[in-house]
Amino acid sequence: MRKWGMWVLVAAMLLAVPAFAGPALKGKVAVVLDVGGRGDLSFNDMGFKGTDQAAQDFGLEMVEVQSATAADYLPNLRNLARTREYDLIICVGFLLGDALAQAATEFPNQKFAIIDSVVDAPNVMSIVFRENEMSALIGALAAMAAAHHGYPKAGVVLGIEIPVLYHFEAGFRFGMDWGNKQYAAVTGKPAQVEMLYTYTGSFSDIALGKAATEAMLAQGAVGVYNVAGPLGIGDLEAITEYHRNRGTRSGPPYYFGVDANQDWMGKGLHGLASGMKRVDTGCYMAVKAVVEGTFTGGIVSLGLAEGGVGISKYGDLLEFIEFGVKAGALKPEDIAETILNWQANRATLPDWIWAAIDELEAGILNGTIQVPTADTVAEMQAVRAKYTLGAP
Amino acid sequence: MTGADVRPGGRLLRGAHRTLSGLHPALESVLAAVLGLLVGAVLMYIWGYEPWHAYWALLKGAFGGSYEIASSIARGVPLILTALTFSICVRAGMFNIGAEGQMYVGAAAAVTVAYFKLPAGLHLLVGIALAGIAGALWSLGPALLKLTRGVSEVISTIMFNWMSRFLVFYLVAQVLVDPRRAEKTVSVPRTARFPILVAGTDLSYSVFLAVAFALLVYFLLWHTATGYEMRAAGLNPTAARYGGISIKRTILLSFVLGGIGAGLAGAATTMGLPPTYAIISGLPELMNLGFDGMAVAMVGRNHPIGILVAALFFGGLNAGGRVMQFYGANPVPLEMIRVVMGAIVLAMAIPELIRIFPALAAAGRGLVGSFTRAKKETA
Repeated sequence: MRKWGMWVLVAAMLLAVPAFAGPALKGKVAVVLDVGGRGDLSFNDMGFKGTDQAAQDFGLEMVEVQSATAADYLPNLRNLARTREYDLIICVGFLLGDALAQAATEFPNQKFAIIDSVVDAPNVMSIVFRENEMSALIGALAAMAAAHHGYPKAGVVLGIEIPVLYHFEAGFRFGMDWGNKQYAAVTGKPAQVEMLYTYTGSFSDIALGKAATEAMLAQGAVGVYNVAGPLGIGDLEAITEYHRNRGTRSGPPYYFGVDANQDWMGKGLHGLASGMKRVDTGCYMAVKAVVEGTFTGGIVSLGLAEGGVGISKYGDLLEFIEFGVKAGALKPEDIAETILNWQANRATLPDWIWAAIDELEAGILNGTIQVPTADTVAEMQAVRAKYTLGAP
Repeated sequence: MTGADVRPGGRLLRGAHRTLSGLHPALESVLAAVLGLLVGAVLMYIWGYEPWHAYWALLKGAFGGSYEIASSIARGVPLILTALTFSICVRAGMFNIGAEGQMYVGAAAAVTVAYFKLPAGLHLLVGIALAGIAGALWSLGPALLKLTRGVSEVISTIMFNWMSRFLVFYLVAQVLVDPRRAEKTVSVPRTARFPILVAGTDLSYSVFLAVAFALLVYFLLWHTATGYEMRAAGLNPTAARYGGISIKRTILLSFVLGGIGAGLAGAATTMGLPPTYAIISGLPELMNLGFDGMAVAMVGRNHPIGILVAALFFGGLNAGGRVMQFYGANPVPLEMIRVVMGAIVLAMAIPELIRIFPALAAAGRGLVGSFTRAKKETA
């Protein structure tokens, strides 16, 4: 009898599939990725995640096109645009900027969006993020954590010297300066936490991230902020080894994640907070604008106020744990332990520091606090001169 | 005889070689291509994709129209040049794995034309010359090590690839860097770019450079006395030396000529590939062109004309492979496409690999032998 029941169930499911297939597909969107490709648990995966979500919500068909080499960028865009089938083509990453500038003039009727680069064309929505705002929060947290635990320094490992990364550095400098002042104001003790920073020149060489982090830890860094995507894997590895050698489980040195919420990585033992850049939100918005007919070319700047950037909170941890499980980087049975580890790590800092971070966030949101940024070498040098933090 | 004949593996390879070498090379290649396509189809079927749909997309994306054909040729251009680097040296009995590194320095040299002004045609020619010279100079390192100290060229060229890679990384980040955009070098000015041959595609006049170099190599190797000497030295160095051929001269010549080819590949990429006309940090458009060229050389049976056909085939695989990612209801992801391409390339290269393998094995044995000898002497 039970066997029969099962067969009936299977037959019912087979018949039911068309009924549950959802609304008919209305259009098509494409995501074009640079040579970095999927699997970084950060930037590229976020671009995919947001577009995929939008495609599901609006009943669109989605295709993903990866680029084997940089010589594929322009042909990929041309091949997609030539079909005239795509309502929107999203380019994820500034590396695609030159190719898109060319393709946008060749196909003026095709709608494009690009993340992290500004392409001046009426059919291109350029989505940029105010990374300086979230980096200020991470910088403030790092400085206060260092002062609290008696560490002299805090570090940041960056990728290639590009304008986008200047936003991160400028915000981090401002944040550390703010954190130093806040610590002195609350505790009455002076704080002069200094900053260590390294541009590794790479977004892919994980060993470089590890080496840079080891050097910073040796100089007394309370933690390291990853601003180099996949290199964060190396950063976290160095921090994990440091803890293992000293026999500690949580507490400083900490790992600060980037782009995605990376707090869960390494079972949440060392991730204190992540500067989240919601590439997924940007992609989702672009698709939504096309579906609703509000798409226009030009720059869309996403900051704290638009939910485009932020510092990780408990809810984000849960969302991105799911992301890590889907990517196969976290086992489902480790979820509970990861959450406990993360909470234990956060508890190594007093409540007033977390309250101060909320205060800074509120100040940036209501406009009473302006975070500096930089797009050129000259602007960056000006910010460095203003907030030297012992490291011009 | 030597130990190689007694070894069962050697005998097996020789047997396979004998069976295959009875066939005409063109037929051999076609058979290998069919085998590779079948293996790729089986792989795609196992992972739940529709092989015939995907291959149809590949074919249409590679040769479905004038735009597609131009794209395929454009992707093949640098591969023609790096393939020639490998095959010139193989013909002279050398295994030059260094096309990759020689191409990097060639590309860096080509970018330096941005620092001076010249009239349109001349500027381009100077850039081409600089790239060729840089590639040739870089290939002199392994050649001289081989001639003066007997260093195996297989190892030294691989080492030189790494040196070149980090040298060019440094040049891109620190010396040739664009002050306004830190992620790339200065762009080659318009006057020094290869004009686009087919509007709206990547195909530029660099294709004529590649074809001309291939024809030059063909003429040199098969219609001049120097070429005859090079090939003789490659077929049997002992006999060639007995016949009065200077092995040193042929080695040097093959490396320099090969280096020029690789350098030109760098020029074709930086000066002839839209839209950036610069080297981007991390070298994403150059990486692996030298190694892919080795596969092209093997599929083209180390003959310049064969290489032209093979490069078109590889360019087609690349251009069509891109299209497989978004064609039909169940498109094939890039990773799977790369697996399928790998199967096809491997099958195509097997006949040539079998031919080259005994020579490579002999070189390896020689190397091990010299190590053990040195150990015995020190003991």
